[in-house]
Amino acid sequence: MKQPPDSPAANRLNPPFAFDEIYRRYLDGLLANDRHQCRVSFEQWLESHAELRTLYEDLVQRSLYEIGDLWERNRISVATEHLATAITESLLNLAYPRLFASPRLGKSAIVACVANEYHQIGGKMIADLFELNGWRGYFLGANTPVRDLKTLIEEKHPDVVALSVAMVFGLDTLISAAAEIRAAFPDVPILVGGQALRWGGRERVERLSGVRCLMSLSELEAWIKDGENHV
Amino acid sequence: MFDAPCIAEAMRTYVLETAPVLALYLDAHHCVAGANAQARQVLCGEALGRPFAEQIVDFTGSLDLPSLIRQGGAVHRLTLGTVSGMPETLSFRFFPLPDGALALGSFDFQEQQKLRDEVLGLNRELNNLTRQLHQANAELRELNELKNRFIGMAAHDLRKPVGVIMTYNEFVLDETGDRLSDDERGFLRSSLAAAAGMKRLIDNFLDVSVIESGHLRLECSRTDVAEILAGVLPLVRLVAVRKKVELLTEETGEDKLPITVDIAKLQQVLVNLLSNAVEHSKAGQRVWLVACREAKELVFSVRDEGPGIKPEDQKRLFAPFVRAGTRKTAGERSVGLGLAIARLVVEAHGGRIRVQSKSDHGSTFFVNLPMAEGGE
Repeated sequence: MKQPPDSPAANRLNPPFAFDEIYRRYLDGLLANDRHQCRVSFEQWLESHAELRTLYEDLVQRSLYEIGDLWERNRISVATEHLATAITESLLNLAYPRLFASPRLGKSAIVACVANEYHQIGGKMIADLFELNGWRGYFLGANTPVRDLKTLIEEKHPDVVALSVAMVFGLDTLISAAAEIRAAFPDVPILVGGQALRWGGRERVERLSGVRCLMSLSELEAWIKDGENHV
Repeated sequence: MFDAPCIAEAMRTYVLETAPVLALYLDAHHCVAGANAQARQVLCGEALGRPFAEQIVDFTGSLDLPSLIRQGGAVHRLTLGTVSGMPETLSFRFFPLPDGALALGSFDFQEQQKLRDEVLGLNRELNNLTRQLHQANAELRELNELKNRFIGMAAHDLRKPVGVIMTYNEFVLDETGDRLSDDERGFLRSSLAAAAGMKRLIDNFLDVSVIESGHLRLECSRTDVAEILAGVLPLVRLVAVRKKVELLTEETGEDKLPITVDIAKLQQVLVNLLSNAVEHSKAGQRVWLVACREAKELVFSVRDEGPGIKPEDQKRLFAPFVRAGTRKTAGERSVGLGLAIARLVVEAHGGRIRVQSKSDHGSTFFVNLPMAEGGE
């Protein structure tokens, strides 16, 4: 399977056998657009009491990368890819009672996908990862106008703003949104991540002061845990 | 150039086997005489040989198929019944033939795409709202815990000074009561009664904060019905006598029925129910406290002949700070925490509390508790 050069899915060790089996059935379910089969696997993973992070990385992210790869190689249709994403998003709701029960640290992040970016699941996983690490992760969803983003920043005074970009053609919008937020809130660090960055654009984004690209959920988690050295 | 026989053959094969269009050959009676692969997949299995009009969902009953066919070439929007059970709308064109007609139907691609985009967009929104709901619930839980901690701390800190006020009032009354005038003794007694009322209120706040924060620790021990009742009745009898309300128990033969409970907490619940019953009763009315066994449960019931509780009040009677519309007969005061605490204590025992009441026909409160093993 083709993977971008620094894909975490490509670099990680295989999870234990039982999880691999659950993963295989989950992926088969996604490919068949079988929501019930996916739910069974998802719940098995949840009930295993494995860390939620593994569910996000080893089940959700890994399967979506694989689905994306199959779509790029015309092995599945765009409709199958869209339905797989929709199923995944609805199943993430099952993890929320555990996710939002994590002890709070009193910090918050605002996460959004910029205007005309309709792939929101990556952004949502970023917001969820903040929650998992004791932050409040406010997620504004797909296609968020900068105006709405600025209103929420004004209201919530977050410790960081994270922008997600999945499609390469969304980079320009993202850079201009980041610049506008930077101008309005010079003290709020901005993080940028998403599939689009795997194919370039990092230097352009990081030319803006106070803006940093993070290339994987692991990098983001390290950044969150690193508390003192933000941006 | 599309006239070339090989191209015509390729297009024919494509339409018959692969194309996402419905191609139907209708005979002279407009029955379906032939269908391409897509049509066979979409239409109900028995379509072949049946009149095409039967496949069409015609709500108005005014469909004139022969007329549509005669118009030839014009596009008609028709809704067909499909194997999935869901009707589908297609754009049809009819081409009259010497011995029938060719019907070609296609789905509206733009409409389908819009539908897909809308459904996906709605799904995204729904999931985002669900996430927000979980997040808001988590925040509310945090705030509730904070509130409980605050109430707990405030109540705890208020309890001590109130205790000091009561002690000194009692001390002054005991030591110097005979040197004071009737008015002065009355002032001190009023002050003592007000402090006692405040202490009860603070105790209730403390109870609610402890129970709601999930830190209620039941100290359960094995006891029997007689012991429970012996600790309850004397506490209420004095008030009942003062109000001339008769306090009664019924002999059910269950006095020695064993039960494992937090004795003090259960007595607190029963005292609360009995006090309420007495406070809502007029002179000459009666209040009963009865314990009996029902299947694997021990049921305490407190019955009065008071004014009863309206159905709309009954629904929210066990929520904190709710007071029933009925007035206590001697103007006794309440903040509406007693029944909320009773519910929380009973539920902590794995039991349930409920009320049966009818306006002007009194009320009966039931406390059902699971019975101790070996209690049968």
